[in-house]
Amino acid sequence: MSDKPPTAARPPAAGAPIIEFQNASFAYDGRPALDSLSFSVGAGEFLGVIGPNGSGKTTLLKAILGLIAPTQGRAAIFDCTCHELRCHHRAMIGYLPQRSRTDPNFPVTVFEAVLMGRYSTIGLFRRPAEADRELAASALNEVGLLELRDRPLGRLSGGQQQRVFIARALAQQPRVLLLDEPTTGIDAPTQASLLALVRRLHRERGLTILFVTHDINLVSPAVDRLALLNGRLVAIGPPAQILTKETLAPVYGETAIVTNHAGGAYVIVADHHHA
Amino acid sequence: MPEFLAYGFMQRALAASLIIGALCAAIGVFVVLRGLAFIGAGTAHSAFAGVTLGYLLGVHPMGTALAFGLGTVWIVQALHERRKAAFDVSVGIFYTASMALAIFFIGLMRTYNAEVYGYLFGSILSVTRGELWLIAGLGLVGLSGIALFFKELHFIAFDQEMAEASGIAATPILFLLLSLVALTIVLALKAVGALLVFALLIIPAAAAQQLTQRLWTMMLCAAGLAWGSMFGGLLLSYWFDLPSGATIILLATALFFLAVAVSPKR
Repeated sequence: MSDKPPTAARPPAAGAPIIEFQNASFAYDGRPALDSLSFSVGAGEFLGVIGPNGSGKTTLLKAILGLIAPTQGRAAIFDCTCHELRCHHRAMIGYLPQRSRTDPNFPVTVFEAVLMGRYSTIGLFRRPAEADRELAASALNEVGLLELRDRPLGRLSGGQQQRVFIARALAQQPRVLLLDEPTTGIDAPTQASLLALVRRLHRERGLTILFVTHDINLVSPAVDRLALLNGRLVAIGPPAQILTKETLAPVYGETAIVTNHAGGAYVIVADHHHA
Repeated sequence: MPEFLAYGFMQRALAASLIIGALCAAIGVFVVLRGLAFIGAGTAHSAFAGVTLGYLLGVHPMGTALAFGLGTVWIVQALHERRKAAFDVSVGIFYTASMALAIFFIGLMRTYNAEVYGYLFGSILSVTRGELWLIAGLGLVGLSGIALFFKELHFIAFDQEMAEASGIAATPILFLLLSLVALTIVLALKAVGALLVFALLIIPAAAAQQLTQRLWTMMLCAAGLAWGSMFGGLLLSYWFDLPSGATIILLATALFFLAVAVSPKR
């Protein structure tokens, strides 16, 4: 316990830590991506993850999924070392990768895409049972798209497709939801309703949520804490503490503007490539 | 019974077409959806190099072809996994190197061997009874592989990363798919030849994708198109004395453009 994380790195008012990084570093082909991370995420916490392009946001999610191993230190989820996760642990993590639109000609229906969330639990050589189909249907109902179940997925709008992928994650019956820029490339009203859906799932299902985004202003009212990355953990804490000129300027440059809007901080930074 | 069906060679050719068409269509669907067309081409040529080595060593050419085919897909994918080389670059290297090897092995043979060239351009009308059994056996292995891993193959074709993240053994499943591609190519090598075999993997599946957005329907359409072009090509080549392999592929290509023209997706 020599490298105990500082107090701000511990989750406030949330359950026991479900994800823990202890001095963990990650690299791609020897190029460092994230350096000496030490923080934890509590069960049932809603954490927003922000930072410029290439700051390691996606790497953070891949590290939690165990898709990359740390070059030093330790990353753990559910008390298991991430990169040694067994399949049944992976199924407890719902993941929405950052993605472009589905090929409109790919042969998969909305329902089939959601049912895929059950595949790892079903296991090899077995067909989905009635119970799996019911879980998929109820997940689809939860995101409000049950009536589109037989439509080709590629024919849905970007926002609808993201809802389908959230439904797939829910069909896994996860405890943790990792969302990588789910609101990128969809229009503002759809972004707001997607965030409302995620908030409802957080509240009603007690899911632990990591929401990676460029859109600081969209998510900050919803989250318990914000983590600011820039090749390392620059700061973590409640939005009011992170969204200050002093914290943001070293990362986003002196052009970062923090003003007040509707009782909260409103941030303008020069990194909105996707906006 | 029509006259051409009385010939044993024609019966064997049609039986071989039935199996090869079904397997090429089924695997081809995943090849097209997962974007593996180029490795299909590379593997076909590497399998041909395996055939030439088999003749040179005096062992069964389908055995050495299978070893070369599997070696190619496994090494290319392993290089890709370790980020040593881009996928298309390593396929390209194997593609050209294996053609060089084939020419090298042919050069080492003391006599001209017409049978070797049969594997390059296809000779479905000279499939023997023993080869037909081999095709049937390997075909059964290939189709069972698809049936057993159908849902996993669908998932990794759709999104490899998401499949892996959700706990599917995505990398082994991809290796399985690549191995099935190699198996299918070896199985079809004698019938349609190394130059054209991968066309039979790609064209019926690509045409079928124009016609439907259901995986099962796509597979059935692809099988129908593969059988249609193989049977049709055989008859045309019989009636007009045309080279069978080339006629089959050209017919399949014509069906592809027909499918694009009538596609309900536009």
